[in-house]
Amino acid sequence: MKVLLVEDNERVSRFVVKGLREAGHTIDHVENGRDGLFYAASESYDAIIMDRMLPGQIDGLGIIETLRQQGNRTPILVLSALSSVDERIKGLRAGGDDYLTKPFAFGELLARLDALIRRTQVEADTTQLAVGDLNMDLRSRKVTRGARSVVLQPREFQLLEYLMRHVGQVVTRTMLLENVWDYHFDPQTNIVDVHISNLRQKIEIQGEKPLVKTVRGAGYMMTAE
Amino acid sequence: MMLTKVTRSSALTLAIGYVALGVVALALFAAPLWYAWQVTIEDGRIEMIHDDVQRFVEVYDRRGESGLAEFIAQRVSLQIAGDRLLFMADRQLHPLAGNLPAWPSAVPNAPGLYTLTLDVGGRPTRTLVQRALLPNGDTLLVGRDLTHLAPIENRFWVGLAISTALLCGLGLLGGWLVRRTVLSEIDTISRSVTNIVHGDLSHRLPVSERGGEFDSLSITINRMFDQIEQLVHGVRNVSNSIAHDLRTPLAELRSRLEEMVVTRPTGEELHEGMADAVEDVDRVIGIFNALLRLAEIDAGAQRSGFVEVNPAELASRAAEFYRPAAELKGISLDFRDGAEGAVLAGDPLLLSQAVFNLIDNAVKFTPANGHIRVEAVREGEAVELRVGDDGPGIPDDEKQRVVERFYRGDRSRGSTPGVGLGLTLVSAIASLHGGRLDLADNHPGLLARMVFDDRVQAAL
Repeated sequence: MKVLLVEDNERVSRFVVKGLREAGHTIDHVENGRDGLFYAASESYDAIIMDRMLPGQIDGLGIIETLRQQGNRTPILVLSALSSVDERIKGLRAGGDDYLTKPFAFGELLARLDALIRRTQVEADTTQLAVGDLNMDLRSRKVTRGARSVVLQPREFQLLEYLMRHVGQVVTRTMLLENVWDYHFDPQTNIVDVHISNLRQKIEIQGEKPLVKTVRGAGYMMTAE
Repeated sequence: MMLTKVTRSSALTLAIGYVALGVVALALFAAPLWYAWQVTIEDGRIEMIHDDVQRFVEVYDRRGESGLAEFIAQRVSLQIAGDRLLFMADRQLHPLAGNLPAWPSAVPNAPGLYTLTLDVGGRPTRTLVQRALLPNGDTLLVGRDLTHLAPIENRFWVGLAISTALLCGLGLLGGWLVRRTVLSEIDTISRSVTNIVHGDLSHRLPVSERGGEFDSLSITINRMFDQIEQLVHGVRNVSNSIAHDLRTPLAELRSRLEEMVVTRPTGEELHEGMADAVEDVDRVIGIFNALLRLAEIDAGAQRSGFVEVNPAELASRAAEFYRPAAELKGISLDFRDGAEGAVLAGDPLLLSQAVFNLIDNAVKFTPANGHIRVEAVREGEAVELRVGDDGPGIPDDEKQRVVERFYRGDRSRGSTPGVGLGLTLVSAIASLHGGRLDLADNHPGLLARMVFDDRVQAAL
């Protein structure tokens, strides 16, 4: 995937560029707002990572607003040291698709970036999800593993749906909190792990192949392999 | 010092003012006296002169001109006249009898009452005289020396002067004494304050039993110092706690990294060590985030994002979120909706976080087989979010302090994970929403209540 990184901090850029290249992405990196707008408007990217505070006449939010006015719908992940809820709302209102505060874990950035890119690819109106022999019917809200029927609580269903929609992708605990529970803050607990563990007990009973992998330092990944 | 100067001059001004006031009072007191004295004496004199004249006329009527002259001469010679002035003259004003050698020319040429300076016995004397006409055309002059009362008048004036002087003296002395007392009190206070400011914050101003103005001032100042001490203590405590809570993960991180420098691990071991190091750093970042969030809430900046919140739904979702973790510890967690559909204006994320923190605490401190109950309750016009447990609870003397930043009960420090900001955050969130955090006894255990009293005004 082709990604544009607009970030003036050298250390952060080096770390992000290296990590994203290793993950198989192609990176263009610019260090100021003017170049950022120029690249974003003239090239075609799968996603843009945008720092908020930038040198060069125009800041991150300015670039995003300009792009959106021009009808550019490239998914944008906003990076910022401004962490308050108000700032996050500002970032999303300007047209950003996701907001990540510094300092961040690279795993979190990568997972969110993948989710953003994928979102534009997976059609939203699917009615059936399948990972290996695990099937989910979104209409009747029924889940089966092979021939076995799996009974889930409503929230467990939502959790499993999110994991299945992002199959093969790392989803972080924060992403689960935000998207399954709609909690946009860090509760400083491992409760998500407990929920995942409960879900595992229901979909991976003895002898069955594990479907939810723990990715150390990042989160979880649903995979059929 | 500036303070002393100001006080000195103001005390002196006060004393002088009081003295001036005293003098005015004295004058107001003396003036009517003086006036009354003057009037009484004057009237008495006039009356006496009238009486004298009357008597002489009577003598004339009985004994004729020569009889009266003889009567007067007799009086004069017998010194009965005293300081009285008696004179009798014929039509041509030639002397017939009396204690004047000749008719005084200063007397006006008509009968009547006059105040004149006459030459009596060779010295000019202020005299009150009456000139009267006898039936045969002779002239009678009766007078009284006005100077013989002068010593009394003088004494009056001297007395007045002495009292004025005494008044001034005593007034100034009083002023000086007041000044000295006030200054010494103020000096005591300012010295104590200086001492306190320069070092011993636990020191307090002395307060006497009398309960005077300076005592109430001292009490007020002492209260101010209590507040300051508490703040300083709080800040010191916070710095200590921050230092402590940050040092632990940093120390772990350091030893982990140092160990890796020494042992030079490779492969999976290296990866694991580094992942652990990242986790340590995340803990530090978590503490900072919590602090920033607290500062943000304290600043009240987030009130702008208030929407209508259903407290029952919010609490039930939080309870549902936490239930698996509680059950993992063998604790039952249930939710009761007693809110009767009440709503309040607020930030749902912040309120959720507050309930989270309360449940999190309850889960941490409740032993296995315990029970936690989350409730949304309507109490009249107030709405309460309650989290009750049957754990060890909090001793009464610690209830206030657990809300303080970084305070952790002795039992939790070191043994239970946590930053020590949880309840502070809850309290801050409650007050941002116009409510308060109340910690009560759950018999047994802790009942934490977030009480929102003025939700009616706050509701959208």
